Amino acid sequence: MGRVQEEGSGPVHGFRLSTVSSSRPTETGTTHEPTGLDLAMKLHYIKVVYIYSAETARDLTVMSVKAPLFPVFDQISWITGRLRRHESGRPYIKCNDCGTRFVESHCDLTVDEWLRVPDRSVDESLVYHQPVGPDMAFSPLIYLQMTRFSCGGLALGLSWAHIMGDPLSLSHVFNLWARAFAGEKIYSHKTSELERVFQNPNSTGAKPESIKRVDPVGDLWVTPSNSKMTTFSFNLTVKDIKSKFPANGDDVFEILIGVIWKCIAKVRGGSDPVTITVIRPDPNGLKPRAVRNSQVISSVHVGFSVAEASLEEIVKSIGEASDERSKIDEIVDDVSDFIVYGANLTFVDLSEVDFYEAKVLGKSPESVYCNVQGIGDGGAVVVSPGVVVDERVATVTLPGDDIEKVKCEMDKCGLITVLVK
Amino acid sequence: MSDLSSSVKLKYVKLGYQYLVNHFLTLLMIPIIATVGIELLRMGPQEILSVLSSLHFELLHILCSSFLIIFVSTVYFMSKPRTVYLVDYSCYKPPVTCRVPFSSFMEHSRLILKDNPKSVEFQMRILERSGLGEETCLPPAIHYIPPAPTMESARNEAQMVIFTAMEDLFKKTGLKPKDIDILIVNCSLFSPTPSLSAMIINKYKLRSNIKSFNLSGMGCSAGLISVDVARDLLQVHPNSNAVIISTEIITPNYYKGNERAMLLPNCLFRMGGAAVLLSNRRSDRWRAKYKLCHLVRTHQGADDKSYYCVMEEEDKEGNVGINLSKDLMTIAGEALKANITTIGPLVLPASEQLLFLSSLIGRKIFNPKWKPYIPDFKQAFEHFCIHAGGRAVIDELQKSLQLSGEHVEASRMTLHRFGNTSSSSLWYELSYIEAQGRMKRSDRVWQIAFGSGFKCNSAVWKCNRTIKTPTDGPWSDCIDRYPVFIPEVVKL
Repeated sequence: MGRVQEEGSGPVHGFRLSTVSSSRPTETGTTHEPTGLDLAMKLHYIKVVYIYSAETARDLTVMSVKAPLFPVFDQISWITGRLRRHESGRPYIKCNDCGTRFVESHCDLTVDEWLRVPDRSVDESLVYHQPVGPDMAFSPLIYLQMTRFSCGGLALGLSWAHIMGDPLSLSHVFNLWARAFAGEKIYSHKTSELERVFQNPNSTGAKPESIKRVDPVGDLWVTPSNSKMTTFSFNLTVKDIKSKFPANGDDVFEILIGVIWKCIAKVRGGSDPVTITVIRPDPNGLKPRAVRNSQVISSVHVGFSVAEASLEEIVKSIGEASDERSKIDEIVDDVSDFIVYGANLTFVDLSEVDFYEAKVLGKSPESVYCNVQGIGDGGAVVVSPGVVVDERVATVTLPGDDIEKVKCEMDKCGLITVLVK
Repeated sequence: MSDLSSSVKLKYVKLGYQYLVNHFLTLLMIPIIATVGIELLRMGPQEILSVLSSLHFELLHILCSSFLIIFVSTVYFMSKPRTVYLVDYSCYKPPVTCRVPFSSFMEHSRLILKDNPKSVEFQMRILERSGLGEETCLPPAIHYIPPAPTMESARNEAQMVIFTAMEDLFKKTGLKPKDIDILIVNCSLFSPTPSLSAMIINKYKLRSNIKSFNLSGMGCSAGLISVDVARDLLQVHPNSNAVIISTEIITPNYYKGNERAMLLPNCLFRMGGAAVLLSNRRSDRWRAKYKLCHLVRTHQGADDKSYYCVMEEEDKEGNVGINLSKDLMTIAGEALKANITTIGPLVLPASEQLLFLSSLIGRKIFNPKWKPYIPDFKQAFEHFCIHAGGRAVIDELQKSLQLSGEHVEASRMTLHRFGNTSSSSLWYELSYIEAQGRMKRSDRVWQIAFGSGFKCNSAVWKCNRTIKTPTDGPWSDCIDRYPVFIPEVVKL
């Protein structure tokens, strides 16, 4: 269900919309063709909010935030284009320099008051989000909301259509902005076809489980959903996790998957999920950085009941996940609609993404919030980095009916120390 | 083959005729001088001296004649109009952050006029055929959905455009603000209090005895009206200079309604401005780029149709916009004819004037059905700067004056790169010609501008010194890409 940002009676208000494009015109007729993997992501949108303190951001004007976007879009002009369809029905991006939507707003609270709330999902109201469609040709793929707090601090919230690229791409583009802001000359490599297709030599003939076909959505790219999805977010430290759940190996992300999977399985009871999707950055660390969908998408299937199994068993089976990207690429056709996030319970590892490298006047953001919009009924957990190296932020999106019970379970197993109401 | 040879013969006949008529006096003098010379040689020095001594020159005669000569020459030099030099000028180049690609313009149009798809469709068709490119600029306030014009943002645009152009002019010419004697600002649709000229005087702390003027409401031809005012003032004030600022401030004039005839200016008008330094000082004679030869203003306002053809009015919903009538091109053609009739005798060579006169007499006396002879202005000018009011205006003038593609290239390329910048477009066009390295010493330039009222003003400049490339100016970073082919219809 697409959550459309509307001006309500909340503390964030005063929306003013404008458009930011590139400084050099793109040659007429230039297009960007999405791969099958890109199209699999078309109903999903990434939302990232960077919050900067008052000392850092007090003197930033709207123009000083807009101006560095121009050289960034000069380097990567296709992300300012608009979607069209070929005769076959396959979407592509027409590089017409139409631009991104820039939204200015105000918040009545100070940065400190805003950050005092432990559940960071309040940051969702700092991202102006509109889905693609119903007029695909006039829907921006990126929205950037600039919110001024009453103390002078700033929040920059991006809504990014996943068809263009993954959260690493978003971070890459935003870091380019930060470097352009600092006056550096920036350069971004042009993606070629070769760097966007990922062959897996070990793939079996089986169909990919991490992707699910959904009913046709036409030109309005919103994930069809039976239930209202709710999000909550909590912080944790690596040290804490390792001490609470020892002897499960060194990979904190896998431990987290195990713990949360178990909690959700206990809540779901009879229909506990035996298949999950795990999305992690490519271990080859694809260089150079570019805008594309490069995350490894794998699925884990277990033959036992997760609610009853031990954490060690679960973590072990996670290690046997296999890369399904090439299978996804093959199965996606021109016209069908698919979802990946929430097709099954999905776990996304963004803990190594360099969000905090987006420094303004030498200072990193005070907080970075990351989530995905358009998650299917399976639900998703996004693990993103915290302010300090040891910290992580877990953002859980589940059907509204399950959420309170899952929070109880997490409290019981010691994952979240305070019962969040 | 016979067609080709006959047309070649005709061309030589024409050339022969032109040479004969234009150099008539010279050709007449040659046999006279030859005869006199031969006579003198025949007479020999002795006879010449005896003829001279027989003329009985008395001291009184000599003194009176010398005084007469001196008196006549003094009166002549005193009453000769002071030459007005164009020392240099500077055109405003908007920042890239103000760029408006076609697709953004159309998307905004769709969002703002979402209840009037027909108006959106109309705007798209206009834009496709407009001759504008993807690099034209609108001020920051107009980038909002819906546009957010306030008095403050209008002033900001004015300051951005005018101050940048002036600072560039100061740098180019070495002019000190305190040395400005005359300041003329023309901006048709934005006229705040205190005026824009007062704004400049305040910013640069100009002298208290400066002669400042602020012309508003005079349309796209106001740039040449300012030059006319400056020229007249420079006749009265010796040893002075004049700074002219020509601009149009877009922010407060963006039409917010959906009446089609009034949406047209939104599609064509773009940010721009120019600052020009004129001087009558002898010391500027060497460094000046141009010399003003003629300036002709014609006003068709007495005719009702001309008066009403460009009208600022409110639409049914109370939104103020500029209504362009459908007869605009016809009226422009007539205004041009009136202007040409006045300027023709001043600039055309004798051969063309003779032909025109004979054609006129012939039509009056012999046969009114004879085609009127359109004088060949290409013989009077090397370069043409036609106000880039829109593709239709340039097409119309190219047809009426029988100009080639290269003659109107400056106008078309300025429309493509900068859009219709109103009164300053003539300066962008002149800058284009210079940037292409086509401006040589003694070249004559004809600037023609049209404006509401309906007016047609033209100025004739003569190039004082060859302008070397590369030039610094608004074309410096993109001149390599020009000229560019502009398709009839750009598919959006």
